[in-house]
Amino acid sequence: MTQMLTRRDFLKGTTAALLGASLGFGQDAPLAKKARVVLVRHRDVLDENSAVAPDILQGMLDEAVMKLFDESDPVKAFAKLVKPGETVGIKTNVWSYLPTPPELESAIKRRLVDAGIAEDKIGLDDHTVRTNPLFVNATSLINARPLRTHYLSGMSGCIKNYIMFAQSQEALHPDSCADLGSVFNLPMVKGKTRLNILCVLTPQFHGRGPHHFSRRYVWSYKGLIVGQDPVAVDTIGLRLLMAKRREVLGKDQELPPVPKHIQLADTRHGIGVSDINAIELVKLGWDEDILV
Amino acid sequence: MDDFGRSIPKKIGSWQASGKDRLFDRQTLYDYMDGGAEVYLAFDLRQVWVRKYAGPGGGELTLDIYDMGSPEEAFGVFSCDREDPGAGIGQGSEYGFGLLRFHQGRFFVSVMTADEDEASGRAVLDVGRAVVAALGPPGPGPDMVGFLPRESLRPERTSYFHANVNLNNRYFIASENILGLDRSTDCVFAEYGTGAGKPGCLLLVRYPGAERAVAARRSFLASYAPEAGSEGLAQTENKKWVSAVVRDRYLIIVFESPDPDWARRLGSSIDIPKK
Repeated sequence: MTQMLTRRDFLKGTTAALLGASLGFGQDAPLAKKARVVLVRHRDVLDENSAVAPDILQGMLDEAVMKLFDESDPVKAFAKLVKPGETVGIKTNVWSYLPTPPELESAIKRRLVDAGIAEDKIGLDDHTVRTNPLFVNATSLINARPLRTHYLSGMSGCIKNYIMFAQSQEALHPDSCADLGSVFNLPMVKGKTRLNILCVLTPQFHGRGPHHFSRRYVWSYKGLIVGQDPVAVDTIGLRLLMAKRREVLGKDQELPPVPKHIQLADTRHGIGVSDINAIELVKLGWDEDILV
Repeated sequence: MDDFGRSIPKKIGSWQASGKDRLFDRQTLYDYMDGGAEVYLAFDLRQVWVRKYAGPGGGELTLDIYDMGSPEEAFGVFSCDREDPGAGIGQGSEYGFGLLRFHQGRFFVSVMTADEDEASGRAVLDVGRAVVAALGPPGPGPDMVGFLPRESLRPERTSYFHANVNLNNRYFIASENILGLDRSTDCVFAEYGTGAGKPGCLLLVRYPGAERAVAARRSFLASYAPEAGSEGLAQTENKKWVSAVVRDRYLIIVFESPDPDWARRLGSSIDIPKK
């Protein structure tokens, strides 16, 4: 964080701007250098029991990746991410209460195979990525996880999802996990991430203690936030969390505990952009209660 | 804590212990928690004992018993995230939406189900009641809670902790640790009725020495209320007042005060023991 944030910034209404999550998206500014982030939603992707409709989710992922590359065919769009002969690791998340949905993992795998990646060259892992041969030898990575608040880092998003690549996770915890972005500069990871998918089908906007989960703090948002820049994707994710917290918990609780790692991933570690004016947010599909 | 495997029933109602009981200490806690261990390590956590219960309809409960080393620390962990009504279990408790939290003696306990319905909610409370008997007698709360003036105090909103991570989850002040909080500091955060709208808030911090308390006040005012004069009093953007004063090795900060006198009165009525 380049500037300290205090409670008085809430009172002044400047919190969002300081976090790069301002309300305006600067659509008038030139798009050439902006990081494109696609938010896609579908009303019917979840049923009343939150079961995922696999075909609809596949369609949402396809739509997002096509839009990311201005392609009209999903396989051609994925072919811009990976090349035949590559080894690809899908970094998933297995937190038992809110894991990366298997339907999303399958949808990614399907398109990787369509794009020419051999099935036995696709890794899917979370806790053992450092020793998994498919990740050790990976030439490309896909980063996919659900969005939730986190007691230490404020937010668990695409940046935090890579903590398992670090030799010591504990070493990344001080100061609200300020240096999570450094993981993207590790040799095993650097320059390999082709796509970041922040799953916002049922995001968690609040928690009670470090590993608490309750259905009362998740909601059916029915979306995916997709982009090539993990910092830009997380910046949009943070904005969504803040909007939901403002709506449910009130303005003075809009910010989960200091998610400073997102901005520092940009300003200190240089792995992406957190400045909202440098992000082009494209919204597709269902727009009811979109919040961002 | 190894005794819990025997002393806590494996079958409670129609719910049955499933899998192996597990025990984690300060070094291995990271294996159990995804990035949240520091929150407990900021207290005097010794061990946590974990058991799962499986229900008749495929449901699952997780029972965590944290040995916090002392009743004060157990109260502290319990007090930091309270939101729900009491459940009448242990020394202090709350229950809501499938989550039971309580403390008893030096133990803090959480019983949780992620998919709460009437049956699993009832089972969560049954497990909690079954556990209390194994935890021994109650113990005293933190001495600093006793320093607080009682008039208009909201006891269920009083929290005790040491570290900045707990303060920021309870009441966000700043993105940096401007009060210099760590395991050597003791903090109480309390809410008081003001008679009009939102409550006023009191943060009382005990430092190892007076020098650190003075330095923390200076740091706080520089970052949070640079316009404050020598009295350490300033009006914030919501028309409320904030004040920061030091008494001996204690820093007293009043937030959300309706007027300067309310802040002065609350600060001066804290019953800090004479040296």
